[in-house]
Amino acid sequence: MSTPLLQLSQATVRFGGLTAVDALDLTLGQRELVGLIGPNGAGKTTAFNLITGLYAPASGSVAFAGRPLAGLSPHRIVAAGIARTFQNIRLFGSLSVLDHVRVAGNLHRAAAPWQALIRLRAFRESEAAVTRRAEELLALFNLERFRNTPARSLPYGEQRRLEIVRALATRPRLLLLDEPAAGLNPQEKIELVALIQRVHREFDLTILLVEHSMKVVMGVCQRIAVLDHGKKIAEGPPDAIRRDPAVIEAYLGPDHATALFHH
Amino acid sequence: MPPMPKAHLGFLLALVLGGVLSGLSDRIDPYHLDVLIGVGINIVLAVSLNLIAGHTGQFSLGHAGFMAIGAYATAAVTIFLGPHLIGDTAAPGGLAENTLFGSALLIGGLAAALAGLLVGIPSLRLRGDYLALVTLGFGEIIRVLLQNFEPLGGALGLNGIPAYTTVFWVVAAGAATVFTVGCLVRSNYGLGFLAVRDDEIAASAAGLDPARYKVVAFTVGAFFAGIAGGLFGHFKMTITPSGFDFSRSIEIVVMVILGGLGNTVGVILAAVLLTLLPEFLRPVAEYRLVLYSLLLIGLMLARPQGLFTFRTHRAVPRA
Ligand SMILES: Nc1ncnc2c1ncn2[C@@H]1O[C@H](COP(=O)(O)OP(=O)(O)OP(=O)(O)O)[C@@H](O)[C@H]1O
Ligand SMILES: [Mg+2]
Repeated sequence: MSTPLLQLSQATVRFGGLTAVDALDLTLGQRELVGLIGPNGAGKTTAFNLITGLYAPASGSVAFAGRPLAGLSPHRIVAAGIARTFQNIRLFGSLSVLDHVRVAGNLHRAAAPWQALIRLRAFRESEAAVTRRAEELLALFNLERFRNTPARSLPYGEQRRLEIVRALATRPRLLLLDEPAAGLNPQEKIELVALIQRVHREFDLTILLVEHSMKVVMGVCQRIAVLDHGKKIAEGPPDAIRRDPAVIEAYLGPDHATALFHH
Repeated sequence: MPPMPKAHLGFLLALVLGGVLSGLSDRIDPYHLDVLIGVGINIVLAVSLNLIAGHTGQFSLGHAGFMAIGAYATAAVTIFLGPHLIGDTAAPGGLAENTLFGSALLIGGLAAALAGLLVGIPSLRLRGDYLALVTLGFGEIIRVLLQNFEPLGGALGLNGIPAYTTVFWVVAAGAATVFTVGCLVRSNYGLGFLAVRDDEIAASAAGLDPARYKVVAFTVGAFFAGIAGGLFGHFKMTITPSGFDFSRSIEIVVMVILGGLGNTVGVILAAVLLTLLPEFLRPVAEYRLVLYSLLLIGLMLARPQGLFTFRTHRAVPRA
């Protein structure tokens, strides 16, 4: 078997006495689209924060494409090829939609910063290339009409989409989406499912998706891992997870099995 | 040949304007000339602090400290090295003198930039009020060190600094500051300053290194503050450590807040306004700080986005 793209081995994160992620083993292969689910407080976001370098593991390890990520700061992990979105959308309030995508293109900017003062042709071409690429991404995701809108004035659904586009502008190999459907209306959720599938297909990406909306998770994921109290309690294809008694119990207790997956 | 970028054109025009004003300076009322130079120096200070505090969001109360380092380093060069380098017979306002002054300003700027680098690094772990405290402490440390450093005059300061500062140098420095900060923050790279200010975690998720941006902002901002210090010393011909105290830093902060954090044009206007204001209020000059405080409080209540910031973005409520 080839090297997995992402490998968590016995990864553990503690906050004081609380073990938020408990000896988690998780492996993602190239181009997989995997769901990470679990009740509130299960440790999903903490797992994302661990992978992206915001938290260091108390024990265990995270490796990306065979390379350990220990000690790398968050921006270096992005440069290595892991991008993410946030559960509570984190945009740059004062930046326009286009500038969000431009600024994320800095990883792939050809000109050095000081060249901004000389503005030779190489600099102008480098700037134009970043802008062009940003515009292409906006067009691809139907955000071009908001090009000059400051992010904080953007409608909520578009804010969620912009966060995904900003992540894509770093040209990741692995994309982590933390509850991208949260707060969306049913129509927007349907569009989001299509968008995730398209991104997965067209950008040649591996995706790890945290989501409470079962419609979304069951609809797009090839495989699902379930966390509860920081521990992985199940992993498998959507159909198996749907019927897994441990999962059902973790979510709602034994009596509510059907309620969970039918709305 | 592509058309010259607007920024370069503006920069060149400013240099020409500075040259013309300098040439005419014999015919300008010396009082007006003094005010003009004071305005220019404050523009350099305010626009450079704006890079640190406005664009990058690092609330710094130590700008006068960088200015002091630049002032003393520049004056040390022209006073102690100048006579050896250009002799006593160099023509006043001639090429030798201006070359010496230009090099001295550069050294003053670099010395301040080094201090900016050294302050920027430990400040990385701090934000908000803690950062303000540390930078305030830095400014005071510089002042106390200078006060006790006898080779540079101690508490009495340095006297007999040659009067090298001309309108040309001030306009050139102002134009260079506005040009550099403007080109930086407009570039793709420079958008990172704004991103780091808005949300550091999101900035690192976009692949930017917030620490590096902050250190660059401190270093570049301090560089120009150092130049402003050099201009100031060779304008007043005497500098004392107490001239670069906490209240000087506050004056610059007020200009930046009054103009609108991150709003270069507004900050320039505020620097002009706040330099001229005391001139108009000469009779109450000793209440200047009180006036500043009142102004600041009134402004915070009336226009929290800054006096000269007119674009306001209304948030669209969640559907
Ligand atoms: N920075 C922190 N400091 C202390 N405790 C934390 C911190 N972050 C998370 N926790 C705790 O760790 C546990 C896991 O939280 P986490 O946010 O990872 O859950 P989650 O699965 O993402 O939940 P949700 O579905 O509500 O987003 C929770 O008990 C939470 O209170
Ligand atoms: Mg979460």
